[in-house]
Amino acid sequence: MTEVSLEEARRRLRELGYLNGGVERFVFRRAFAGRGGLFVPAVLLSAFAAAIASVAAVAAGEPGFGESPTAVGALLLHLFFADLPATALLAAVLALAADQSRSPAGAATFAGLTAAGAVFFLWIGGAYSLSRDIPARAFLWGIPVALAAMLAARSVRSGFLARAYARSRVLPGEPRRRVFLAAVITGVVAAVLLLGLRPRPAPARAPLPSPRSMPVVVAAVDGLSLDSSSAGGISGIRGLLVTGVTGWWPARQGVPPEIWSDLATGEPASHHGVRALARVRAAGSPLGVRPPLGTAWYLRRLAPALKLASSAPVSAADRRRLAFWEVAASAGIPAVSVGWWASGPWPGCDVVRNEDVLAGASGGLTADARALGEFEKRRRGGQGIATVYLPGLDILRDSNNEERIQAAEQVHRFLENEVSRAVAREEVLVILAADSHPAPSALGRMVVFDGRQPVRTIQVRAEDAAPSILSRAGVPAATDLTGRPAAALFPADSLERTTTATYGPRLAPPAPRLSITDREYLEKLKSLGYLQ
Amino acid sequence: MARPAANLPFDDFAASSLPSLEKELSRSLPPASGRAPDLSRAIGEAVLSPGKRLRPLVALAAGELVRAPRAASGTVAVAVEYLHAASLVLDDLPSMDNARRRRGRPTLHLVHGVATAELAAVALIARAFELAAAAPETTARTRSRVVEELSRAIGAEGCCAGQAADLAADPSGLALEDLEAIHSRKTGALFVAAVRGGALAGGAGEETLESLTLFARNLGLAFQITDDLLDLTGSPQRMGKDTHRDAHRANFATLFGEASSRKLVEELLEASVAALSPLGRKAAVLADLARVVRDRQT
Repeated sequence: MTEVSLEEARRRLRELGYLNGGVERFVFRRAFAGRGGLFVPAVLLSAFAAAIASVAAVAAGEPGFGESPTAVGALLLHLFFADLPATALLAAVLALAADQSRSPAGAATFAGLTAAGAVFFLWIGGAYSLSRDIPARAFLWGIPVALAAMLAARSVRSGFLARAYARSRVLPGEPRRRVFLAAVITGVVAAVLLLGLRPRPAPARAPLPSPRSMPVVVAAVDGLSLDSSSAGGISGIRGLLVTGVTGWWPARQGVPPEIWSDLATGEPASHHGVRALARVRAAGSPLGVRPPLGTAWYLRRLAPALKLASSAPVSAADRRRLAFWEVAASAGIPAVSVGWWASGPWPGCDVVRNEDVLAGASGGLTADARALGEFEKRRRGGQGIATVYLPGLDILRDSNNEERIQAAEQVHRFLENEVSRAVAREEVLVILAADSHPAPSALGRMVVFDGRQPVRTIQVRAEDAAPSILSRAGVPAATDLTGRPAAALFPADSLERTTTATYGPRLAPPAPRLSITDREYLEKLKSLGYLQ
Repeated sequence: MARPAANLPFDDFAASSLPSLEKELSRSLPPASGRAPDLSRAIGEAVLSPGKRLRPLVALAAGELVRAPRAASGTVAVAVEYLHAASLVLDDLPSMDNARRRRGRPTLHLVHGVATAELAAVALIARAFELAAAAPETTARTRSRVVEELSRAIGAEGCCAGQAADLAADPSGLALEDLEAIHSRKTGALFVAAVRGGALAGGAGEETLESLTLFARNLGLAFQITDDLLDLTGSPQRMGKDTHRDAHRANFATLFGEASSRKLVEELLEASVAALSPLGRKAAVLADLARVVRDRQT
């Protein structure tokens, strides 16, 4: 007699009408041994489903993320392990409930539905909070999310039933498979309705400018410690700046992207959304992301403490408000922007991103040289607004005096040239001097050279910089901005008098192919002294 | 995780039901015949020899599940045990398995002779139908359906067919389907009849009967495979009957191998419990029978 294999025996017994139960047979497998062991798969599958939902949320809110399998895989792995303790805790609570349950079938179904609902909540809520503009292809993530939610729901239900049976020998009632199917379909429909039909902020009507004949040049100089007596190499710059009209504000501690986005947008960080080096990059992922709903505790706190995640530089996608060069470009005024933090391509605007400037720099001196080179290459005249961000002095803040002096001289030469043009009324020059690492009681400054004006100094706010620049370029100031045009810094009647209700939110254009990955950018920033 | 201190519904149920069941088995014996005292003794010994009483307990539990009158399900349970006892007597005969021990005692034909053993079996079968046909607190239709279930289990499509096929089978040429056909009739059929009969006594609906049938079929096959495993590995003293009788015959344990057989027993028992799930908590006693079968040592 030939021995029949186990698989063959199962198959043939099924054909004979055995091994078919009314509910999942495996529910009772471990229960026979007196254990509710099915909570282990419930914990694992629920953690997996939660991680999938969070990853799907990131994919919906972060352009380009879903196209990187490495980034998706790494984040999924991180969040899976991060979710395990929470799901284990919930499983323990469910186990206690199962022990006490007198109606395990209904309770188990309810637990399964809750699990499925939580998965969809993480997906929908996460995507909702990360982006207002969900691309259609992001809804494809609904398939793995739905499958994962179904698995989680069924495993939770099975675990509950097994536990209840192991303890009380109470059997469930009718199977409830279709309930979960209906719940998952409902979840997908809800996602489509909530995310797909979510009213997108309509792009505001572009302000109607009254273009001025003179271009406005904005030189943003970081690390210019005008209030520090020990800073070497800046006496020439200091001497130059005191000849302009100065608006000052009390400097505050912060990190470069946040401080410079205040200046660029006319809004505080709570409005423009660029907060420090807000992104986090999970170990193994080439991309930084904003933590989706319910994951900040891990991605921002625990993982960095365990060296499993690091800060990642912000990108233009993080900024929710328009920078002044973007407003100008939208209003039809040609603009150039070189080297600003959290900047990115914008229609009508020639933008060189911060990472592209820093990519080829070996230090502060070369960073400024590259920025100035790019700036000079692009400002061929005709632009209404041209701006360059010079990070060199900030990068060199702790460097030896000689290199810093060289960098300061390089900035000085540039500014001196620009000031002479401004005094000759060839352009309006606005110098933004805001130290990203200010000393206590230091000031931030906006120094204006607009023809020959009497020297004076007034207090303004950092947020006044952007509307002032825009008004001087002929763009109506937005009344919903925190900042206001600082008319006292400019010649009388030189600012645009009309106003507009709003410049609208920054609705990001499609992300371009990155020429430099976040990881490379991060390493470059570290090598230049940031992120220390 | 430590085994929880759960109550064991079947054990509790058996403990509370067995005393009254034993009394009913004894009370329901055919009246002693003065002209055939040996036959009467043989009938009594066949029924009252110590057994696990699984089948009548199943019938009682099924009756309790559907809230059948205790007298009605008790009568079905007794009838089932009588049929089972008769099948054991016949199975042990020299013309069949030629067994020497049953329930820890010499087989009936060794004590009373083949002829008396055969007559005792026939008398028990007749008594079973007599009792079922007169089951109290039931309708005529219910009694008729119970008799029908018992007939099907023991008759030409049930135990008799299984035994005949078993005797005729070529041990070396038996396929899984052949073995299943034999044992689903020899063992499974009476389990099915017990559970359905008990439930019918309470007027169970078709859906309930369907769940119970599925339960009993899976349980019966698991029971049989366990029996085969015990036959291979058990001792006559512990089992209370001859063992290793099937060494030269095909059975599930030899067909699947010991490890796979144990695995299949688990899966069949899981399926049997799963089949009960639509019946909810009231099926707890029957469901716990799966544990009993899994843990059985005799």
